[in-house]
Amino acid sequence: MISVEDRLEVEAFLFKEARLADESRYSEWEALVDDDMHYWVPLQESQEPDSDQVSILNDNRTRLATRIRQLNTGVRHAQLPPSRMRRSISNIEIEKTGADEYVVRSNVVLYEFRRQATKELEVWPARVEHKLRRKDGELKMFSKHIFLLNSEGSVRGLSFII
Amino acid sequence: MMNQTDTSKFPRYDKLITDARVHSSLYTDEKVFEDELNKIFRMGWVFICHDSEIPNAGDFVRRNVGREPVFAIRSRDGEISVIVNRCAHRGNIICQEDKGNTKALVCQYHGWAYDTKGALVDVPYPGGFKGDFSCHGLERLPLVDSYQGFVFASFNENAPPLLNHLGRATELIDRAVEMSPVGRIRLSGGWVRHQLNCNWKMLPENDTDGYHVNFVHPSFAQAIRSNYDEAVLDDEEGLKSLAKDWGNGHTELFFSPSYTRPLEWFGCAEDRHPAYTKALLAAYGEEKGGRILRDGPPHAVIFPNLFLGEMNIVRFEPVAPGVCLHVHTPMYLEGVEDDVNKRILRQSEGALGPTAFLLADDCVIAERAQNALQGKGRWLDLSRGAEREVVADDGVISSHLTDETPNRGFWRHYRSVMHPGAPTSGVSAVA
Repeated sequence: MISVEDRLEVEAFLFKEARLADESRYSEWEALVDDDMHYWVPLQESQEPDSDQVSILNDNRTRLATRIRQLNTGVRHAQLPPSRMRRSISNIEIEKTGADEYVVRSNVVLYEFRRQATKELEVWPARVEHKLRRKDGELKMFSKHIFLLNSEGSVRGLSFII
Repeated sequence: MMNQTDTSKFPRYDKLITDARVHSSLYTDEKVFEDELNKIFRMGWVFICHDSEIPNAGDFVRRNVGREPVFAIRSRDGEISVIVNRCAHRGNIICQEDKGNTKALVCQYHGWAYDTKGALVDVPYPGGFKGDFSCHGLERLPLVDSYQGFVFASFNENAPPLLNHLGRATELIDRAVEMSPVGRIRLSGGWVRHQLNCNWKMLPENDTDGYHVNFVHPSFAQAIRSNYDEAVLDDEEGLKSLAKDWGNGHTELFFSPSYTRPLEWFGCAEDRHPAYTKALLAAYGEEKGGRILRDGPPHAVIFPNLFLGEMNIVRFEPVAPGVCLHVHTPMYLEGVEDDVNKRILRQSEGALGPTAFLLADDCVIAERAQNALQGKGRWLDLSRGAEREVVADDGVISSHLTDETPNRGFWRHYRSVMHPGAPTSGVSAVA
């Protein structure tokens, strides 16, 4: 059982992370990430991270830095202009896995207005698993795994931070 | 009379396509789309799967051929059948899983059972069934053939042999599989289905368009140092890569002339994978093995729906005039160390699919084009570089990387398929 204080702190982190992603504030979002980050959208619900199965997205810290650098060039057509987004997070379950580490499971529904091209509203429902640790008095995320409900179906362009 | 009736029903492709331009209605018109599903995806050869996806008896994978749901399945005798995924009784889906293994195919609706070649073998409550089992099998595609393990099929029993359709482009497939020291690839990594809201023809066109790279992918060029800097991002005088038309609608961006050292195409130092280098040289000899190590894999489209995307294999799927899928899997090599295939996988995730450093931008550009082509439409120019093309002895046309040689080759073949008998120019079909 985690304390109320821990729960509030973890939830505040999730909400801030969501807001920065929603608002395409790439570098501020990246500041929440620790050095051993794994940012992952698997193709299958039961996929293992190190399997030979292809992923929709599979970034270690280096590749994530490249992704942020590309978004920050200002000429990434896929996010020019950036999608307008809002995501709702619910069913937050927090498990304390070490003195200062947490696994956080949640349900997320992201609404995306694709204003770069087709001007449609796209909906991205997912199960999300964060791994957080407290470092220098602040929470950092070192893993974010996004299990899209439709990952094995047809998936539209996904060039924002999910 | 039949011919006159037939052509009057359809758009005048001979008027809508010339070597210098194509009309935008070819991307938006429902009638054109339906006509393509018939003339290209039913009457011609279509890539289905690679035999490494179904290595064992009873293995199957689901696919779509145009709008037709099918599955490919291997029987105990090793033969691969491509079968329409529809029960002969009341038309239900027979094979619901995307892939798997089975001894028999049993319809979930009334329990009709078929063997792995689609023959009807059992009907529940047989007292009421007065039909002939041999007349109630599943619909098999009459032509199934393969080249280097790439399985193609056609609904048209009178289609010319697969090798006629592939023509000179067998060389492109050879170059893909020869990236393996044992000459075999393995498509076991799963397929990502990326939906683009654009016409399917924009996929083969864009995948072998060498002109757009500097404009669609500047963010990639700025963020990442890669082999593409030399291959596609140099200025007009500096570019050594070539655009090629192989005939029969098969097209290529030929990057190899840009590469000066082994494994440059793989984005790594030449001593990064010593076991792989040694195995290729041992398998093919110093000269050919050295050439493979320097030249790298093909970047080529096999008409109409297969893209040999360097170390990826891609299928194009038309869904509607303004919707298509770009479906990719890493092209794993047999006979290599795991670290080679691991690099192939990571590069595949970087280059292709919804989140990719490259394709996500192509996707938005294509969707904008589809939007712009609505309404009355207009002519699209295809003429770039026509005056500086070079035709080799084998008929393959080469030009500057930024020239529209591949797109002209695509459309020339498209026109000959959609409007048989229309006069053609340029590279001829292979006899």
